Amino acid sequence: MRRRITYIQPPHAPFHPSQTTLTPDTLTITNLDAAREERITLGFDELSGELWQVLKQCHQVHVRWARREQYQAVSPFSSRVSPGLHVFYSPVPSSGSSGLDSEALCTLLKKVFDSGLGCESPEKSFITPPILSARFASTAAYQFYELLPSLENLVTYTQQKHCGRDDKECYRRAELISSADSIDINYDSISHSLTMSGYWSKAPGGADGWTEVIQKYDGAKGQVEVGLLGAEPANEPEDIKMGGLLAVVGEDTELKPTLFSFPSRHHPHPEGAGYSVSFSPPTGLHPTMTISMPRETLKEPPGRPDAACALHAYLTLPSSVFGDKYQLSTSDELFVKSHNLAALRAVAGDTDLEAPDWFVSHWGSSWLLELATPSESDKSNEDWNVTIPLHLRYLHPSESGYRTTPVPWPVVFWACTAEDGTKMGMNPFDRVNLGWEGLFGPKSMFYQLQPSPANEDVVLVEELDVPVLTLRERDGFFQSRAIELGTVAVITLGFLWVLWKLGLVARSSGIRPQRREADKHAKAE
Amino acid sequence: MSSFFRSPSLVYGAAIGLRVILLFYGAWQDANSPVKYTDIDYMVFTDASRYVSRGDSPYARDTYRYTPLLAWMLLPTTWAIPGFFSFGKALFALSDVVAGWLVAKSLVLTHQMSPERALKYASFWLLNPMVANISTRGSSEGLLGVLVIALLWAVLNRRITLAGILLGLGVHFKIYPFIYGVSIIWWLDNTKTTRTLTPSASASESRAAEPKTNSNTTTTTPVMAQIFDFITPCRIRLTLVSMLTFAALNAGMYLRYGTPFLQHTYFHHLTRIDHRHNFSPYSTLLYLSAASDSIDSGAGASGNFESLAFIPQLLLSVVLIPLVLGKKDLPGTMLAQTFAFVTFNKVCTSQYFLWYLIFLPFYLPTSSLLQKPRLGLLVALLWVVGQALWLQQGFYLEFLGVSSFAPGLFLASLGFFAVNAWILGIIVADVGRG
Repeated sequence: MRRRITYIQPPHAPFHPSQTTLTPDTLTITNLDAAREERITLGFDELSGELWQVLKQCHQVHVRWARREQYQAVSPFSSRVSPGLHVFYSPVPSSGSSGLDSEALCTLLKKVFDSGLGCESPEKSFITPPILSARFASTAAYQFYELLPSLENLVTYTQQKHCGRDDKECYRRAELISSADSIDINYDSISHSLTMSGYWSKAPGGADGWTEVIQKYDGAKGQVEVGLLGAEPANEPEDIKMGGLLAVVGEDTELKPTLFSFPSRHHPHPEGAGYSVSFSPPTGLHPTMTISMPRETLKEPPGRPDAACALHAYLTLPSSVFGDKYQLSTSDELFVKSHNLAALRAVAGDTDLEAPDWFVSHWGSSWLLELATPSESDKSNEDWNVTIPLHLRYLHPSESGYRTTPVPWPVVFWACTAEDGTKMGMNPFDRVNLGWEGLFGPKSMFYQLQPSPANEDVVLVEELDVPVLTLRERDGFFQSRAIELGTVAVITLGFLWVLWKLGLVARSSGIRPQRREADKHAKAE
Repeated sequence: MSSFFRSPSLVYGAAIGLRVILLFYGAWQDANSPVKYTDIDYMVFTDASRYVSRGDSPYARDTYRYTPLLAWMLLPTTWAIPGFFSFGKALFALSDVVAGWLVAKSLVLTHQMSPERALKYASFWLLNPMVANISTRGSSEGLLGVLVIALLWAVLNRRITLAGILLGLGVHFKIYPFIYGVSIIWWLDNTKTTRTLTPSASASESRAAEPKTNSNTTTTTPVMAQIFDFITPCRIRLTLVSMLTFAALNAGMYLRYGTPFLQHTYFHHLTRIDHRHNFSPYSTLLYLSAASDSIDSGAGASGNFESLAFIPQLLLSVVLIPLVLGKKDLPGTMLAQTFAFVTFNKVCTSQYFLWYLIFLPFYLPTSSLLQKPRLGLLVALLWVVGQALWLQQGFYLEFLGVSSFAPGLFLASLGFFAVNAWILGIIVADVGRG
């Protein structure tokens, strides 16, 4: 097992050497004001049988989770996904269509994350994102999403399956997962190793920075590496430069100063551009999502002069909400302009335009939209609003006549072309398989906009009220019986009325033609 | 005013002019507003044509639920010639006018009207702004209109083979015209086809319109003879030709596009799962039962009554109305059949109303709605108010997000159904009275 703990101090954050104490067995950190990433790498022989049974049938599995609350994603951890649980998966190519005995992955996911996950099997529940070309084989074939508000179940699972009965330290570290802002889990059959990483934008529980004692690794194979880093101005637009101190706990006798730079796919927007998402009421059955961005931050990120950049939004929509791909991919300039959209670049998943929610087996759909930006001459000061027309499916009846459906905020970013020959994979903090980055070429750079809710407490999930059939279980007049009997009664009465009229006709004149030529002629004159 | 109807060129000119203005207005609105004049269905048709032009199946376009003929017909919309995108709308609008022309011609046959008077009644269709609006927005109902009215015209003129082809084509296009097969076959009895008739009947043969047999000649014949009487060359020819046309078209389309053709053109209507709110009295019940089927809870509807919906619908439109009224007045019967079919259907949207609107010119001249203007006004008022109430509830739901399924939409759709059933009763009585 290898552990890597990286603290990223914000610029100008205070640091005093006394905040770290390195002994032959431990590194003690005291009140360190920093963001923190911890990455644990496990070889397949270190995995439990339960995990290995499933993983060995996978070519790759990637889990991404982000919390609903707003958090700061600092460089080099600036990439984002929409709040919730995202799973990307490819089966082992050789073994049949899915490669997996089809429910094993879902069973495991339910056990680890939430027994209520709407996951049946990759075929039924996962969607297949577009693969741009065989070259990008790193993009997983299947994608799953569910809005999972908390990781409590993962904490319990880790404690029960991986911590010794009295291993207090293990319990504490597992508990820390529940305060993470985002979690990544990666497995691929080439490295045969499982990595799990967590990102915390700040120390949990409002503590005054990070205070922890990091033990050296006791086993035979493995190490614990710690970095205390801060971002430095980089020389190249593609690069991120980090400087600070590094140590391998149990090996090094002192923290070693370091300064290194690497090309990075993901960058924060240099001017801290932000966006907020809302649905303007009344949402009806056709809610319109509005992405608002202050105009002054809507500048193309400064890069190479020959770089081509475009603003994008990547939407992850649960099955109850959907876009009309024909509407959104229209070439009609007026429509596109009226919404400040540029084009629909990719769509995957359930885009059926009519099916009620209960006929949709997949979790929903994902949408990559290119957004328009204000023209140079546009001097307005108002926020730039991009609107995305969406539609709601019919949901099950409820007692109140309404059901709420959560819509996670999309991620919004600039995508720019990078210089040829840039090797993004050299980045020790590289992050791929986010759903959206695979829709671009491998030499793309992304400048992430920060979600900035108007109110600090607001979560990055909008709740939509969906009107449904009102159905009271016990009392109340309009229950299912009343609807059933009312319909049958009215239709029967209507039917009988027409029958009665037909009967009168048949009785008075039979079914034979009338002699009425003359009459009619007279009438017609 | 009366001089207006005396001049066919004025009436048809006005009908064409109305549509041309609407076509240009639509093109202008589409080019200048993000809110489009063009119907969403037209985008579906033209998308499908684009797929066809690339050698793909029209069913590659989601929600294309029509015969490939439609996508083929609209192929010119894919040509990169300015204005050709509207080709289909012009075609639908032209179909409207041709349908109106055939209505006028048929009225002369069925009601022995003067051409001027026929044109006046045909103007209910020709100059109807709703009709012109629907086809210039790009809805294909105009095509159905011309097919159905051409079918009537062909039957009235004893062009049996042509009628068979039109019937087969109509059913291939939109299924529902099969109901006319029954009434036409019933109507096409000996009195209208054989030459050995009473002098008065053969005298009218040249005018080729109304059934006018002496009822006592047939009522006394024995059963076997009646059956043999029923099987006439005309009836056999109509049945065979229409079935052959229908089968040949379907076989051809199936060979070309396979199962998706059958699925989207026909089976979809049997297995459709989208029970979005519509005018049908069944819509709330269908929502309820579809939702409860999927969770298997006891809370939902238990009777499965919706699966029996076809019984009143088909009993009226295919059996009883043709049987009781068919020999008295063919276009009147077709109106009543269509009205029954639409009223009792499990799905009903406003474009279905066009299906019966085309027959109104045949019904109105002798209807009690015009003879008793107060009744006529009441009928029109209730029909409009019934829809308006429903639309108001629909607006609450669709745009304001108010849960108006029950009681709002539920009662509104039952109310609208009741109004329609009442009107159907009046039509039946009027047509039966003759």
